[in-house]
Amino acid sequence: MTEATKAPRRISSGFNSRLAGYYWERLKKNRLSLVGLGFIALLALLGIFGPLFAQDPQHTDFNVKNLPPLGFSIQESIYDIKTDSFTTTTLPGRPDHPLGTDSKGRDMLAMLISGSRISLLVGLLATGIAIFLGTLIGVLAAYAGGWVDNVLMRFTDIMMTFPFFLLLVLIVFILGPSLTIIVAVIGLTGWTGAARLIRSEALSLRTRDFITASKALGASDSRVIFNHMIPNVISLVIIMATLSIPGVIMAEAALSFIGMGDPMSTSWGTILNTGQHTMDTAWWVAVEPGIMLFLTVLSFNFLGDGLRDAFDPHSII
Amino acid sequence: MRSYIIKRLIYSVIIAWGILTITFILLRIGPTSPVDRYLLNIAAKGQDIESVKQAIEARYGLDKPIAEQYLSYMGNLLQGKWGWSFSASMPVLDLIGSHWIYSFQLILLSTIFAILLGVSLGMLSAVKQNTKVDYATSIFSFIGISIPGFWLGLMLILVFGVQLGWFKTYYDTSYPIWSLQNLKQLILPVLALGIGELAAYVRYTRSAMLDNLRKEFVTTARAKGLPERTVIGKHVLRNAVLPLVTIIMFDLGSIVFGGAYLTEIVFGIPGLGQVSFNAIFADDYAVVVAVTLIGTFLVLLINLSTDLIYTYLDPRIRYD
Repeated sequence: MTEATKAPRRISSGFNSRLAGYYWERLKKNRLSLVGLGFIALLALLGIFGPLFAQDPQHTDFNVKNLPPLGFSIQESIYDIKTDSFTTTTLPGRPDHPLGTDSKGRDMLAMLISGSRISLLVGLLATGIAIFLGTLIGVLAAYAGGWVDNVLMRFTDIMMTFPFFLLLVLIVFILGPSLTIIVAVIGLTGWTGAARLIRSEALSLRTRDFITASKALGASDSRVIFNHMIPNVISLVIIMATLSIPGVIMAEAALSFIGMGDPMSTSWGTILNTGQHTMDTAWWVAVEPGIMLFLTVLSFNFLGDGLRDAFDPHSII
Repeated sequence: MRSYIIKRLIYSVIIAWGILTITFILLRIGPTSPVDRYLLNIAAKGQDIESVKQAIEARYGLDKPIAEQYLSYMGNLLQGKWGWSFSASMPVLDLIGSHWIYSFQLILLSTIFAILLGVSLGMLSAVKQNTKVDYATSIFSFIGISIPGFWLGLMLILVFGVQLGWFKTYYDTSYPIWSLQNLKQLILPVLALGIGELAAYVRYTRSAMLDNLRKEFVTTARAKGLPERTVIGKHVLRNAVLPLVTIIMFDLGSIVFGGAYLTEIVFGIPGLGQVSFNAIFADDYAVVVAVTLIGTFLVLLINLSTDLIYTYLDPRIRYD
């Protein structure tokens, strides 16, 4: 490859470093999206390095069950068989379990850290699969047109009408609950919205002059698709990905919450599942994972909103 | 217009048939059998499991190849026979008939709640753009969109049921459906299911209103000296309603299958979500396929009627 053939490629590519810098400048002006980005970064650090320092999230110890978080205390009544009476003691939170423990004495902090790892992993991987498939199918349908477009879009219609959560429960029930299967199912069923949006965007791109010019210069189909179409929908892809991660994280949490999560790992949904049965004795088990879930989803929504404004040439920031 | 509707209906039937087939195959290739639940009782009585299992499977035709089972299921379905629920020991149609009302009521009430409050808050937010009211509403809607509905349900039970004791922590099915007691115990579920939708409607209404507030006909209306109430109510809102209809109807489809499902499980409401959920675990394929089919048809009908309402609201749109 000589410099001359490389140069036009760099111009057509929608995402070089100078443009990225420009978008970053625009994104930085949206405070909320920076807060979201910060929280996600914190969560990622917690997920990656947290397990090195925290206790084993699966370790049970019934001597320390139902401990409240630090700063809270609960009344515990124990029946004493010798005096035939109840002795009530006040049980304060302990520094070695700063966020308390659940009904089996598992450390809440360790479980929440493990949960952040699982949620981010599932969110990123499943969204990655879904967005990759959606982009490919959308661009292919728009570029090929004709019967290929028709077949792909009718298939998308069927997938879209399919009751998503029911399908998820069904497949996980049949194939067995494991993280790999959950990620695969969410990824393989979640691409429909992206495919439709990308298709309509690519349809309008297809008639643009630079695509026609590229074809007139003898560019192959794959070159037009991969060097011209996809780079031009990439900003849309990034926004879609950011805004679909919360849905995926919620779907995994909901699945674990109804008892269909991976039994070998501790996710926020799994903790909520145990927490909902002990709400009268240990409210924090149901509260803490939900707060993490809520903050994570909120952060991705803030970030996605900021990215949409940053990428939108019409929005004045 | 008529040919368009017929075409769409045929198309809906084909999609529903595709979904039915996928669901049926998924359930029948699963590792468990619908008669497993019977077998637990038989095993407890010390009888020989295998011979009984074969006898029951032969009686219901479950030992035949999947293709054959599928054909006979489809044949029965076309004659209006929805099959037998193994886990509830009653015809599928009776099972659905006694449970659909719970789901319907929950979805209806939370949709009304979300639309009424969501659209008014969105309008308020748009009219008072960039004021404190607007910011407060925006933050509220961000929170509402991000809060997981099933967790919100748990928190509502925790605060108002467990701590304050205002509501029961379980769903009491002994009340008549439309009685005041039953409506009272639906307050928390309706909130849990409705707040996410409400928040979404606030955002859509706000942006649709803002789009129209900048249009020239609004300036004209104001220049004519019309009172602000007329400008907002007649000129802006009527134009903003159009995109809202699509979004609300589309959301209705996703509520049928997503949110209501989990809300029913959290609050123990015996609606179709709960029924199909239990049926999946019992491998009660006839129930799952029936609920999926009904839900799918509902979503497809909602989509079709959305398009038709659209042509009525905006005469510029024609489908031919």
